[in-house]
Amino acid sequence: MEEKSWEDWIREEEGRVFEKPEALEDVTVIDISTSHAGAFICSTFLAEFGAKVIKIEPPGGDRGRRWSAESFYHRGCGLFYLSEGRNKYFITLNHNTPEGREILLSLVKKADVFIESFGPGYLDSMDLGFSKLSSINPSLIYVAYSKYGHYGPKASGNPRSYDASDQALSGLLYVTGEPEEGDKQLESAVPTRTGSWISSYAGGAWGTFSVISALHYRFLSGRGQMIDITNSEALMRFMEYTVLWYHVSGRIRERIGYYDLAVFPYTFIRVKDGYAFIAGYTDPNFKALCRIMEREDLIDDPRFSTMDARTQPENEEALHREIEKWSINYTSDEILEKVLSYKGEGIVVFGRVNEPQDTLKEPHWWERGTFRKFNDSHYGELILQMPPWKMTETPPRVKWACRPAGFHNELIYKRYLGFGSEKLRELRTKGII
Amino acid sequence: MVSEKYIERMQELFDIKKVFSKPEALKGIRVLDISMIIFGPATADFLGEMGAEVIKVEMPGRGDVMRNVAPQGYYWKNVSPAFFAQNHNKFHIAVDLHNPEGREIIRRLAARSDVFIENYRPGTTERKWQLGYRQLREINPSIIYVSNTGYGQWGPYASRPSYDALAQAVSGMSLITGFEGRPPVKIGIYLGNYFGACLSAVAVLAALYWRDKTGKGQYIEHSQCEALIRAMEWTWAYIGLTGKRRRRIGNRDHVITFSDLFRCRDGFVVIEADTDDELVALLRATGNEHLYTNLWLRDDFSKEDKIKHIHDIISRWALKFTRSEIEEESNRFGFVCAPVQNARDHYENQHLRVRGSVWEMHDPVYGHMIEYGPAPKLSETPGRFIWAGKPVGFHNEYVLSSILGLDSAEIKALAERGIIGKWIERKGSKPPDDWYDEGVIY
Repeated sequence: MEEKSWEDWIREEEGRVFEKPEALEDVTVIDISTSHAGAFICSTFLAEFGAKVIKIEPPGGDRGRRWSAESFYHRGCGLFYLSEGRNKYFITLNHNTPEGREILLSLVKKADVFIESFGPGYLDSMDLGFSKLSSINPSLIYVAYSKYGHYGPKASGNPRSYDASDQALSGLLYVTGEPEEGDKQLESAVPTRTGSWISSYAGGAWGTFSVISALHYRFLSGRGQMIDITNSEALMRFMEYTVLWYHVSGRIRERIGYYDLAVFPYTFIRVKDGYAFIAGYTDPNFKALCRIMEREDLIDDPRFSTMDARTQPENEEALHREIEKWSINYTSDEILEKVLSYKGEGIVVFGRVNEPQDTLKEPHWWERGTFRKFNDSHYGELILQMPPWKMTETPPRVKWACRPAGFHNELIYKRYLGFGSEKLRELRTKGII
Repeated sequence: MVSEKYIERMQELFDIKKVFSKPEALKGIRVLDISMIIFGPATADFLGEMGAEVIKVEMPGRGDVMRNVAPQGYYWKNVSPAFFAQNHNKFHIAVDLHNPEGREIIRRLAARSDVFIENYRPGTTERKWQLGYRQLREINPSIIYVSNTGYGQWGPYASRPSYDALAQAVSGMSLITGFEGRPPVKIGIYLGNYFGACLSAVAVLAALYWRDKTGKGQYIEHSQCEALIRAMEWTWAYIGLTGKRRRRIGNRDHVITFSDLFRCRDGFVVIEADTDDELVALLRATGNEHLYTNLWLRDDFSKEDKIKHIHDIISRWALKFTRSEIEEESNRFGFVCAPVQNARDHYENQHLRVRGSVWEMHDPVYGHMIEYGPAPKLSETPGRFIWAGKPVGFHNEYVLSSILGLDSAEIKALAERGIIGKWIERKGSKPPDDWYDEGVIY
């Protein structure tokens, strides 16, 4: 049919990012959230799709700019902002002054989306809440981030939270980590948080999901709305059958280390040079694994011969031991070679457990543009992860990394409100910007 | 102090009892999903929550593997409870994709759909089934076509198969989780699948918004490894700028000043303080306010030592209280705290019930169900669960007659030739034992 193979065609098609338009290029977002990673990531995702995101910070900058690891700052910028500040327009504004408030309202009139994280009732008490903003801009999509949400019995609690708290509330913390082993008091045998700020990414993803759903609805109806998001509920939606299982069986899902409740083998194993992941849990795939291990005797072993038998906890342990007896003799690359060259029925999934540095060495990701060495005009050479989506008509993209607080004051205040340099000087003197 | 009046107003605005009297954002959008397991089906599910009409296509007989992915071999009403979380509100049909006539049914449905989802190996839908993007756009130029994979459609590793925990392993997520010197930690849920699916749904919506304005469809590819790589925040910038590896630090946080897990009387809590205000609040709550000036502000101790000292004090303090007592203290004093919640905590949590984050429904086939509900709350177009996943091929007649206009003789002929089918006498595939025909639509 087509002349080019699928892989060649799609690769070429996806390569022409900057020749193509952006899905949200007509959307203006005002993000006034402060040191809230979920809200910040939401506006980052929208900016990756082409929305004009105006990030409003108090004069002096958002506290989130100081968020960094190992006390490392790059040209004064914390690593969180540096990684997630992409494509945004950074302005400063003190909305607590009467003049600052009027400026905020005039910007809101021109905006499509408004994102805040002050906690329930805070902006409303200053007459800047959803009711006020939607009265001056009825098609506005107003997004509120907080710990417990803006309604419900706990909504009046302290609205601030950080990632570990949100992981705790979501239930993810409870089911992740090593189980206790007898009386051994291992420091590591406790609920364990997922290393990255995953609750904020969940919150950011669901926020983006809601905003674009609301934009689509607004396109059809002209109507705006309010969106209430918590990072913990965002992550909770990924908790699978955990609460349903309790409802139907009374069982509480516990943490089980590198085992799996529902599929096995589907686990981390030791290999000669570290750890790896291996899976072959359906019957044909399990047989394939046994053949690759040259252990066909395991196929008919009654402990392992059906999917349900293999997931009994004691059988998982036994099978894990059998696999490691074999895997410990080979490096990860040697096993991968065996798995990829297997041509029989069934599929075994295998991969090394990488340190992030190892991931950065894989040519696959560089070829695909998953990572880019980015030469930013303000921050110099950076390695950044690129947007995770590839799209043929409206590819998401990174245009610049973060910028200092107030970097775009001139551009945005001139472009949206017509303020000249005289006016900006005056506002600066008054401490409003 | 938060105004109770405000919260009441919000309660009214978002009232869960009014969800079904409000419109759906994606009403009129039809999603045709030929994917399996979680990554693809959850993408479709999330769109279905917002009102899209999702047609889930499975192989006749056994159907989707997730029907038999049963925790500790536990089945509920003949199906694994793990099948439901990514299968709501869908119409279930079973069509044999290995049969050319089966694929013709899919092509005809694709011609009448807005979104098409698949998660097979790169090139499979095009070369093997003639259901690739380049083929479907010929019959439906405005189609939005999504391919979910492990490693992407092209590149040196593109043909490698993937699962969720593989993505956790190769992205590096596993080795930034847990304690130094310990084996890698498998995250307790299929995170790469659900988070990846949420991002896929985001891209579909962006494409849909673009289509609203231009009428143009497009092709979207999304890889679950790339989704997790994207979610590793500053890891890449840090390695790029410093050349150092990211240390594993258990339950502490690289960024937040004070953050850790503590044992208390009835389980575990997380206690955190990032600003000085929050730290003072925490010290005050534990009766150690003096430590702010006598310890925290002094520069003759290292930050590490100060944190360790405070950590020890809080460890002893926390043991005396329950999770909810400490949470109340955090609200009273202004530090950050959260109980480590498990399934029962979620089940009994009234706050989550009021917000529909723990969602209760009565399904015509499966009866009373409690599940995690739609995550974001939208005042005008709230997400909703209408019904639960169904046995294999449950809606064959409805879908084939209402969309393709097949009459019952034609449907019967297709079934007799095995081109379409239903459940078989097998756990996972079949309805509950006590089911007759409730919930069937013709």
